[in-house]
Amino acid sequence: MPPIIRTHDLRKTFRSPKRRPGVAGALRTLFSREYEDKVAVRDVTMELEPGELVGYIGPNGAGKSTTIKMLTGILVPTSGTIEVAGLVPSDRRNENARNIGVVFGQRSQLYWDLPLVESFELLRAIYSVPKDRYRANLQGFIEMLEMEPFLRTPVRQLSLGQRMRGDFAAAMLHNPRIVYLDEPTIGLDVVAKEAIREFVRHINQERGTTIILTTHDLADVERLCRRIILIDKGTIIYDGTVEHIKEQYGTHRTLVLTLTEPHPNPILEGAEIESNDRGLVRYRFDRRRARPDQLIREATQRYELRDVSIEEPDLESIIRRIYVEGYTQEPVNS
Amino acid sequence: MTLEPYLEFAKKAFAREATYRLEVFTEIGSLIVRVYLLRSVWTALYSQNIAPMNLPLHSMITYATVALLMSLILEVDGTRLIREKIREGTIATDLMKPISVPAYFFSDGFGQTGLHALLVIPSILFALLLVHIDVPSAPVFAAFLLSFAIGYLLNFFVNFVMNSIAFWTLETFAIQLIVRWVSDLLSGQIIPLTFFPGIFGRIVFALPFAAIYSTPLLIYVGVIQPHDYARYFLVQVLWLALFSALSLAMWRAAARRVVIQGG
Ligand SMILES: Nc1ncnc2c1ncn2[C@@H]1O[C@H](COP(=O)(O)OP(=O)(O)OP(=O)(O)O)[C@@H](O)[C@H]1O
Ligand SMILES: [Mg+2]
Repeated sequence: MPPIIRTHDLRKTFRSPKRRPGVAGALRTLFSREYEDKVAVRDVTMELEPGELVGYIGPNGAGKSTTIKMLTGILVPTSGTIEVAGLVPSDRRNENARNIGVVFGQRSQLYWDLPLVESFELLRAIYSVPKDRYRANLQGFIEMLEMEPFLRTPVRQLSLGQRMRGDFAAAMLHNPRIVYLDEPTIGLDVVAKEAIREFVRHINQERGTTIILTTHDLADVERLCRRIILIDKGTIIYDGTVEHIKEQYGTHRTLVLTLTEPHPNPILEGAEIESNDRGLVRYRFDRRRARPDQLIREATQRYELRDVSIEEPDLESIIRRIYVEGYTQEPVNS
Repeated sequence: MTLEPYLEFAKKAFAREATYRLEVFTEIGSLIVRVYLLRSVWTALYSQNIAPMNLPLHSMITYATVALLMSLILEVDGTRLIREKIREGTIATDLMKPISVPAYFFSDGFGQTGLHALLVIPSILFALLLVHIDVPSAPVFAAFLLSFAIGYLLNFFVNFVMNSIAFWTLETFAIQLIVRWVSDLLSGQIIPLTFFPGIFGRIVFALPFAAIYSTPLLIYVGVIQPHDYARYFLVQVLWLALFSALSLAMWRAAARRVVIQGG
């Protein structure tokens, strides 16, 4: 199957009048013709297969939202090409709109003054969703997202979590083939996050919807995505599986021992003590050089143990390291 | 393009307006008070022999009352949404939907108008307790309705242009206020434009504001005679064409700005 989303050397440069400080500066700003160019997205090339669920990850200001706006067609690229389900989004805004669903965590698409369910009715009319399909979809969403209690509440009075559920349902009512989620779990509690993740997974798996997910909560990514695209300063720095990046960066594991008796320096061959707090000892080891079973055997021979566990590095610590150090093919382990 | 979404926008706007019950009742109340005041003012002025264009007092009071009833409908500004959406940065959300955004604004305004049009009926009943309103012959009334309808559309586009300025300067309140004062005065809503003397009167009649209130009202009270209807309709239609073209051009420019600069 051909890719459903394809961008090539996509670039967006924002131009804004050069600002100067102070009152005199403000006056000069008003009359000057000097501009500052800011490249928000720099030569981004990506392809998504139908049915993929990709995490689009990067630090603040990396260019994620800008990319997504270009994919929706409300922002015109400065250069490069985009094709979404065979259309150029900014040329065919209306047709493209029928193929896509969008959730912006920071901004609602619901109608503020109307009860939630009336926003859904409006969207039904906007997308000309057949009545029976609308009813079936809505019924399913109400159950999955537990929206029954606040269906008739004006959107303005909904809590953030309730509103987000409403926004998710609103984005999926017309069975879009592609969905863009821009920080959809921002500000949600753990239960609401879980409900939303489950919903996203359901839409992706049952309907085969292609999804791009932007988030700063890497637990979202770990739960949902096989593939991630990392972007920094407008440039893609990694495009591949979560597994691969973990393998690449996660060469170290942590061995945690609970000793029956505290020990001042409970050394192990091939592992490095990270911390030792009244018998709770954390060791760091390179899994290419030391084997966990050998370490544990050594530990049981030398010390009396109450508990043993091994921790895998989580995506969050890996991504944090990439943000700080930049991405390299062969990360040097410190 | 199917009409369904736009009918739905209008329906929802109607329902939304209906929830502001207090405002609705205040509006009728304030209208009644103004009818009463205008009757007193014009009666006093007429006793001083100030009659514009030999309009008899009962015609003048009819004019003033019908003008107030029209304002129930014409003061609804559906395009105020544009300003709000720009300020809150939600215009992008509308651009992401498969709809014509200006048509959405129009339908929303139309729905609001629908509710306010309903208010006209109780308002007339109350007003009739205070003043006598002349009722024109059926053909004249039909001409009035037609002229009013064109005026309604023109009013929408004038507002559209005013509110679209917000795309370039976020704060349009001052502009709005000035335009509002000027148009209230120069549209013939408060005093018939026949009051303005000489060259000044000619200018006032040539402005677009006259096509909103003055033309339908002067048709209603019979100052504009049937043989002049065609000419006045033509002027109204020309203004309508001009302002709708201007609105469209401004919308295009604004939308381009949004898609290039990101709002
Ligand atoms: N309309 C605009 N005009 C000028 N600069 C902009 C505009 N929108 C975004 N930018 C700039 O472009 C860069 C990328 O912004 P973008 O919103 O795409 O980042 P992001 O990856 O979504 O960040 P975050 O995680 O904080 O949401 C930022 O430096 C931002 O300041
Ligand atoms: Mg963003």
